[in-house]
Amino acid sequence: MFSFTKEQQTLEISGIHIGGQPGRNPTTLIGGLFFKGAPDYDFAEQHLQTMMHLSKKTGNPAIPDFFIKKEEYLQDIITFIETSLPRTQPFCVDIIDSSIKIKTLELLHQKNLLDRTIYNSIHIGITPQERLALQQHTPAAAIIVAFNPKDRSVDGKIEVLENGAHLTDQGLLQIAHSLGIKKTLIDTAALAPGENSGAAIAAIPVIKEEYGLPTGCAIHNVVEKSKWLQQFPTAKKSVDASSNASIPLFGGDFAIFGPIEHAENVFPIIAWYDILISEYTENYFGVNPSDSHPRRKLFQ
Amino acid sequence: MNTNLKTSVIGSYPVSVNTTDLMNSYFDQHDISWNKYIDEAVHDMITAGITCISDGQTRDPFIQIFTRKLKGCRIRDRTEIIDKIAYENPITIDDQRYVKTFLPKGKELIGVLTGPYTLTKSCVDQFYHNEQELAFDFASALKTEAQQLEHIVNFISIDEPFFSNKYPEYAHELIKTITKDISCPTRLHVCGDVSSIVPELLDMPVDILTHEFKASPHLFNAFKEHDCKKKICLGSVRSDDARIETVEEIVNHIQKGLRIFGENIVQVSPDCGQRLLPREIAFQKLQNLVMARRRIDE
Repeated sequence: MFSFTKEQQTLEISGIHIGGQPGRNPTTLIGGLFFKGAPDYDFAEQHLQTMMHLSKKTGNPAIPDFFIKKEEYLQDIITFIETSLPRTQPFCVDIIDSSIKIKTLELLHQKNLLDRTIYNSIHIGITPQERLALQQHTPAAAIIVAFNPKDRSVDGKIEVLENGAHLTDQGLLQIAHSLGIKKTLIDTAALAPGENSGAAIAAIPVIKEEYGLPTGCAIHNVVEKSKWLQQFPTAKKSVDASSNASIPLFGGDFAIFGPIEHAENVFPIIAWYDILISEYTENYFGVNPSDSHPRRKLFQ
Repeated sequence: MNTNLKTSVIGSYPVSVNTTDLMNSYFDQHDISWNKYIDEAVHDMITAGITCISDGQTRDPFIQIFTRKLKGCRIRDRTEIIDKIAYENPITIDDQRYVKTFLPKGKELIGVLTGPYTLTKSCVDQFYHNEQELAFDFASALKTEAQQLEHIVNFISIDEPFFSNKYPEYAHELIKTITKDISCPTRLHVCGDVSSIVPELLDMPVDILTHEFKASPHLFNAFKEHDCKKKICLGSVRSDDARIETVEEIVNHIQKGLRIFGENIVQVSPDCGQRLLPREIAFQKLQNLVMARRRIDE
């Protein structure tokens, strides 16, 4: 385990602390609500409760990530967020289509939900209209995806954050800053197996050392896309859940761990590694675990 | 009359990269292909009627195309040199092979290399602390690329714009490191004001020299003072100005060049790479260049 020489930022997003030196804050776990077709809100509510219960039990903060694919579901999903989540619970809106992103920001503004919103995500595909919408309706935080189509290495990820790899007019960090987004999390952009997917993990300590920002990724995507793992069907689930452990082990701060129904497997694994990391970093570097850290649950 | 006079580009061509498409490929975990951007650039050159065509250098600015793939380079805002420069994998070869698959008969393909001195001056050296040593290691790496290009392209063009800022005493040897024993013709492009280094350029171990005679017309006089036996690619439309030169204006410019260089003029081209121009302007300039070239024979 290690400690960074660069001062590490801990972001507070509606009561959840993300970032800092390894061993200080527990890994934040972001669980996805991906709906096939019309959203199933009973399913969502049930799994949200399970995830929140696990969060309370382990000490690892939980953030639901609402994947909004079609505009027709937007209003209902936002109403669900407004009415079903605890009043201070932060959440991510995870949207690919730029026009839906814009409409979502408007709606979140109307519902006074922006101070709990983590915008997922800012990347090289950001449009001028989206920039304007973000300036007008600025969310509490945003995830920046450090995907560089020219270079999948760690250096490529740094490049796209620094100068946009000559695909955007500014680096992605500068773009987020210029839009007034005060809290940024870096997603190191996990790629398919064989496409330098390990760089997403290797980039975590490099980016934290370079910028001191909370950093993580959706490393589970690599497992999900692996054809090689198909020959081990019984192991796939455990490989998927345990892949997230590489994030805290490399000093990372958050794991976008995939479907929320994986929470029961993921939370105990990550809490376990957070405990081990904290033991070492406290003994060696003197990093005290935060009050809500899983290691403190162990002492109870 | 000079029926061998060909129209050419220098290297880069502007294309608009669709970053939304690229991100969608990421989200869907699909392979990313750059071929559509190469297609756009090459298609414009072909449609404009240009004879000597490049791959458009659409992937990156001309420094990063090379430093991204050379060992010892670390890409940051400016490339950093962090280890000994070495050639690891082909840099432009796949793109050149791809263009070759659809290049119409009668067209020629240019293999474009960013020169070793320009690479050296554009990077932040944290390893060598010796400019000359770094430049020669870049040259050796580029030589390996050239040895593959010579079997694919019709000629190799080396871009060395930094020679016009500062001409190193080892420049001749540096270029020779690349061009020695290369079987295809070679061209050296130096933009900017080269009037003070004309004798050195005329002595360069390359077949063709190309300079920005349109933006710097005083170069005609600078070259006139010397016995020029080198073949010349005459820069005839500006790459740093969006104004589109008329066909008449270009014809007059080429005729002036022909009066000075005679049949040593073998190519007419833009002054430099066109990457920084809007695409429609770059295209119109190429079209007018081709029309002007045709008028020369009338």
